[in-house]
Amino acid sequence: MWEFYARSFNASTIFMVAALGELIGQRAGVMNVGVEGAMLFGATIGFIVAKTTGSYLLGFLAAIAVGAAIGALHGFFSITLGGDQVVNGMGIWILGFGLTAYIGYPYTGPLGLERIPSVAGISPFFFLGIVLIAVAWFVLFKTNVGLKLRSVGENPSVAEVSGVNVVRTRYLSVITSGMFMGLAGGIYALDYNPVWNYNFLMGWGFVALALVFFSMWNPFILLGGSVLFGALWQLSLNPELLFEDTVSRYIWRTVPFVVTIGALALMSTQWFSSRWGAAKPEALGMPYEKD
Amino acid sequence: MTDIKHGDIVLAAKGITKRYPGLVANDRIDFEIKAGEIHAILGENGAGKTTLMSILFGLVQPDEGEIYAFGKKVHFRSPLDAIDLGVGMVHQTRKLIPAHTVLENILLGHPKAGTILDMKRAGEEVAQLCKHYNYPLDLNAKVWHLAEGEKQMVEIFKALYRGAKVLIMDEPTSALAPPETEKLLESIQVMTRDELAIVPFITHKLPIVLAVSHRVTILRRGQVVARLDTKQSTEQSLAREMVGRDVIFRLERGKAARGRSILRVENLSAFDDKGAQALTDVSFDVHEGEIFGIAGVSGNGQQALAEVLAGLRKAKSGRVLFDDAEISHLTSLQRWQKGIGYIPAEQRTVGSIGNFSLVENMLMNYHFDDAFSKWGFLNEKKARQLTEALIAEYGVATPSPDVKARGLSGGNLQKLILARVFSRKPRLIIVNLPTQGLDVGATEFVQNKLLEARKSGAGILLISEDLDEILALSDRIAPIYEGKFMDVIPAESAVRETIGALMAGLEKKAAA
Ligand SMILES: Nc1ncnc2c1ncn2[C@@H]1O[C@H](COP(=O)(O)OP(=O)(O)OP(=O)(O)O)[C@@H](O)[C@H]1O
Ligand SMILES: [Mg+2]
Repeated sequence: MWEFYARSFNASTIFMVAALGELIGQRAGVMNVGVEGAMLFGATIGFIVAKTTGSYLLGFLAAIAVGAAIGALHGFFSITLGGDQVVNGMGIWILGFGLTAYIGYPYTGPLGLERIPSVAGISPFFFLGIVLIAVAWFVLFKTNVGLKLRSVGENPSVAEVSGVNVVRTRYLSVITSGMFMGLAGGIYALDYNPVWNYNFLMGWGFVALALVFFSMWNPFILLGGSVLFGALWQLSLNPELLFEDTVSRYIWRTVPFVVTIGALALMSTQWFSSRWGAAKPEALGMPYEKD
Repeated sequence: MTDIKHGDIVLAAKGITKRYPGLVANDRIDFEIKAGEIHAILGENGAGKTTLMSILFGLVQPDEGEIYAFGKKVHFRSPLDAIDLGVGMVHQTRKLIPAHTVLENILLGHPKAGTILDMKRAGEEVAQLCKHYNYPLDLNAKVWHLAEGEKQMVEIFKALYRGAKVLIMDEPTSALAPPETEKLLESIQVMTRDELAIVPFITHKLPIVLAVSHRVTILRRGQVVARLDTKQSTEQSLAREMVGRDVIFRLERGKAARGRSILRVENLSAFDDKGAQALTDVSFDVHEGEIFGIAGVSGNGQQALAEVLAGLRKAKSGRVLFDDAEISHLTSLQRWQKGIGYIPAEQRTVGSIGNFSLVENMLMNYHFDDAFSKWGFLNEKKARQLTEALIAEYGVATPSPDVKARGLSGGNLQKLILARVFSRKPRLIIVNLPTQGLDVGATEFVQNKLLEARKSGAGILLISEDLDEILALSDRIAPIYEGKFMDVIPAESAVRETIGALMAGLEKKAAA
């Protein structure tokens, strides 16, 4: 029983950190549907660096750095060039999928370092994730930078006439966003499941993306959603931890995705948006053109 | 910058020139604003008023010319530079973030906001400011909850809180109800009296100019044609300088044969975007050759009514009949084909597509016409000819029909939309705020077009906040308040004060 909870929390950590990154970007109006790609980069590069240097610290720094670079790349296409954010995000996913498979292939296998110590089976990153959520909430809602960030996500031209540098603020958020995704990938590959395999993520990033919509762009709801999805995910991997004999695990495997689709479908209805829809950043997905 | 005396020149422009492809929006303009004065800028639509103010605020870069602030030559690279020197601007379109609170909006971009926002101190300081101008505001309210007039004041306080000594206002009254306008003007007058805030403001409402301004600068086609003392001006003289001809302020409504009922609305109710009830059990009919005026302050359900009738919004209950046939289930396109024309209030978002050329915008109401599209191909030549003819007939000031609609000034865009709808000769016209933001000449023009359409037998549903317009045009008047008609009054027995009171929700009577 406890094992189930502990494992759920560990799974939720990865959703939490990745989705928090996505949330920060979206609050500034930049959507990155390539979360999965950025995570693959973070995971693979972090894994390789840690494996070759034997240092977790360097591994994580590398994961964060490559995440920042992916964020900057996404920023270049969707802020500077004003391209379609969804198309660019898909590009990042495909790039991550192909390139990391190629780079990581020679390193297939376990990491071979001593595991990062856990607290009663719960990874320290779970607690880090909660701290990051709280910090992100504080920065978004209580600081000047946060106000600017939310404003460029709501209405960049208003922000501009108020004296906010829209381009700089969006870059700042999209790079930070990438760092979180890279870190999430690093946590996966160095702590959660320290084995490199072909296409090891299989949808984590997409669930994280959905979680952001699910959270209505609120970090604390995101925290709750991540824990819920962590549990669902864990259930889908090892249902036997909770239920003695169960239906096929392949059915459990689909549960997180079915719940995701259900939640998103519900949220896109008129009924929902007329009640709670106001939370969505108004300029989400829209490139900013000065006129 | 601290010791400004009454009458000092605080902001001056010398030889400002701004060219856009094919036109000169500002042509060697000299202009100065003195401390303690309310300086009005007048001009027809497209005369270059907004362009000049945007240059003085650093939002647009001039091609030539110099700007002096407080006696020193300055170069505004962006609004930030202007704000730093004490120049604030209240824009023609609202520049606030609806999802944020009043205080957050005021603090956005404030140089002294600090790294961690000190909401408490800022709140106290802003509250002090509100108190000084006797305009209470709930600083923690979300901006989308506020009335139009309150939003305007938020923008003003935002500028003042940043230390603005010069406040530029672009059509500050065009979206306000009469009582809101009065309150705003009062506050502006107080500001010039004790704070030496200087307010060059732009408006098309001449009585306001005469009532509050000290000096007037008049632009025509990008040039300054007159600088006047308000005291020595009259409505006629201002209008003449602006338009270059005499403007008749009295409309000849004339008689039109009232035909049979063309539109029938029965017990109509509808929700607004937020899912709240906007319209409750409204019934009325519009006849051929009649202007049915709905008078109300915006936000009282007239928007939802217009959209339901145009087929853009689903009714919650009730029926709509056109020519005695139910049309509730018809799409907006099918309604156009039946002869129902719609002129929306939101010119930029519903009425036109900014990134499309004028020709393409014209096609928005013609693409379904066989004469303009055959087997899926648009007849561009024909569309172009039509657009050119209408541009000429309606006097839309534009260098060419190929420019994008976003480049047109507000008034010219409105003319283009009117031209597009009227030229289809609809039998029923639903028109929401037709003269919002139009200059006197254009207003006269539009109102005459409406009367012409009425004379030729069209039924017109006119929605307006402008009581003068409603009284001048309508055959019957329905004041609307909180989604209900307060009464339906024939023009002959309409009294201005009564209707004004009904619009404000006073004297509740059973709906007719
Ligand atoms: N960004 C732009 N691109 C091209 N043309 C422009 C642009 N901005 C303004 N113009 C043109 O410059 C002229 C002046 O426009 P401006 O908005 O200053 O007029 P205005 O006097 O404020 O009119 P209104 O009373 O309708 O608001 C217009 O003919 C307009 O079409
Ligand atoms: Mg203007």
